Amino acid sequence: MTGVRKLSRAEATAYGFLTVTLVFCLLPFVWVVLASVDPNAALFLSLPKAITADHFVKIFTAENGGRWFFNSLVTVGATTALVIIVGGMGGYALSRTNAWWKRPFLYAIILVRVLPPTALIVPLYKVMLISNGVMDALVRSIVPPDSIRSAMQIFGFVDGYLGLILVLSAMQLPLALWIIKTFFDLTPKDYEEAALMDGANVFQRIRRILVPLALPGLGAAGLLTFIGAWGDFLMPLTFISSSNLQLLPIGLFRAFQRANTIDYGYLSALALLYMLPAVVAFGLARRFLVQTFAGGIKG
Amino acid sequence: MALTYETRVAWQNRMLLVPALVLLACFILIPAGAAIYISFTNEALSGLAAAHPQLVGLKNYVRLFSDDGFWNSLVVTAFFVFGSSIVGQFVLGLASAMALSRPIAFRPVFNAAILLPNAVPEVVAGFIWISMLAGGKYSTVSRIVALVGIPPQNWLGSLPLLMIIVVNTWRGIAFAMILMTSGLSAVPTEVYEAARMDGATPHQIFWRITLPLLRPTIFLYMLVSTAGTIAIFGLIYTLTRGGPGGATEIIGIYIYNQSFTAYQLGYGSAVAVIMLGVSVAIGTVYVRVLKVQV
Repeated sequence: MTGVRKLSRAEATAYGFLTVTLVFCLLPFVWVVLASVDPNAALFLSLPKAITADHFVKIFTAENGGRWFFNSLVTVGATTALVIIVGGMGGYALSRTNAWWKRPFLYAIILVRVLPPTALIVPLYKVMLISNGVMDALVRSIVPPDSIRSAMQIFGFVDGYLGLILVLSAMQLPLALWIIKTFFDLTPKDYEEAALMDGANVFQRIRRILVPLALPGLGAAGLLTFIGAWGDFLMPLTFISSSNLQLLPIGLFRAFQRANTIDYGYLSALALLYMLPAVVAFGLARRFLVQTFAGGIKG
Repeated sequence: MALTYETRVAWQNRMLLVPALVLLACFILIPAGAAIYISFTNEALSGLAAAHPQLVGLKNYVRLFSDDGFWNSLVVTAFFVFGSSIVGQFVLGLASAMALSRPIAFRPVFNAAILLPNAVPEVVAGFIWISMLAGGKYSTVSRIVALVGIPPQNWLGSLPLLMIIVVNTWRGIAFAMILMTSGLSAVPTEVYEAARMDGATPHQIFWRITLPLLRPTIFLYMLVSTAGTIAIFGLIYTLTRGGPGGATEIIGIYIYNQSFTAYQLGYGSAVAVIMLGVSVAIGTVYVRVLKVQV
């Protein structure tokens, strides 16, 4: 027969291996997708007899899911913005400087990146407690007594958003600095110098030249920061306790721990909603992924 | 005072780095230093020592050596790192990279499927794997292995360490695959053609050409992946919290449990200092051996 090429043994092996791997990778997701539309969802895989959107509706109407989602968006969004700004400034300086501290600084970034957050969590907790005390005194001296509590939920370091945002930012910053620095290394100095000659001041140079040039680098750093902070479990677990401040990962985790009253359909819908932004960001960031761990290796 | 242009730029660069430095100092460097200090005290979250922590010298470190929980966590961590990142992710990641380097139909589909587990947050990964593993004969894994006659069981109870290795392998194939793909693409195709001309078998090509040429990439992968695997927390915490009976208590989970469940901050910090030391050692090897370009 013409037109049909017989698979070589190597090709057949490749297809076989890839198919098994594909099943291994996707099988766990089958349950969460089916359960999220199954009115009688249980912990175990089964084909739904009917299909419903109730679980998704419930996230935003009846239960806390919508609130957790919103809280996560706010804190992770703020973290991403902060890292882009701070990392953009620092990455630019690291790229342009030739000072003696450049090399030690960059090596230090690599070392800081490998420090496991779990090993830092205890002293970090103390730093946060002390900062929280200072902030509490500050807030008390400015804000009227009846709104201290709500102000501390925003500006507090323990059980408050500001502290969580700063910690998440610090954790994501080394990678962002590295990516943005590498990116600025590839952008020519000529444009800046031309603008300088034409009499543009610092702010004009940043707004008109640097930011447009650096946009892909800042975007990559922003995406990876978002993915890292969105998926982080340890920091919200340790530093957020009020239920109205809770983030999605912890809300999901706690709801799943309530052994007897688990609504699997609802939690599956929530888990899908939670993973969606991360998967989208991951898809967009894919071509930058080699950089994230190859950090600095040529090629 | 008139500053020269160079001095002004130099100061500008320093100023631009200040916010980044402040963040890193407050939330990473100072805590790392404080961990070392706290590890020499008897600090606790509750009780007498909570009010007046005192320096106790090397007592916490001495205690480490005779603490079964600590040794257990080291052994569990070693198995976990070896099983999931050195063996599981690496073998499957390299095989996937090699299979996908061929002109294969549906390549984007295979690629996306392998990347997906890496893209989902740890809690979601834990959540969906509990459905795969928990619940005896109704769990998905039990139903699959029943086809080959293996009796159903509560997998996270009977084989906990193996199960977290499987789950972490599942999550990290993509990580290895991406790096190996970039390593493979750096190997010139002429090398393979020449080998084939000389009549080398696929087996010989793999062991004599592919693997040796990939060695720097593999080494890089081993370092980064080991450092990353040691630091895993959320995935195991959502699956088992380190249980049953410490069977999956890798060192990060052990620190967390000692500090926030047993309230022994000083002792927990001593374990943390060991962990920091190991990580810094890995990072130093990375910087030195690979001669990172800056």
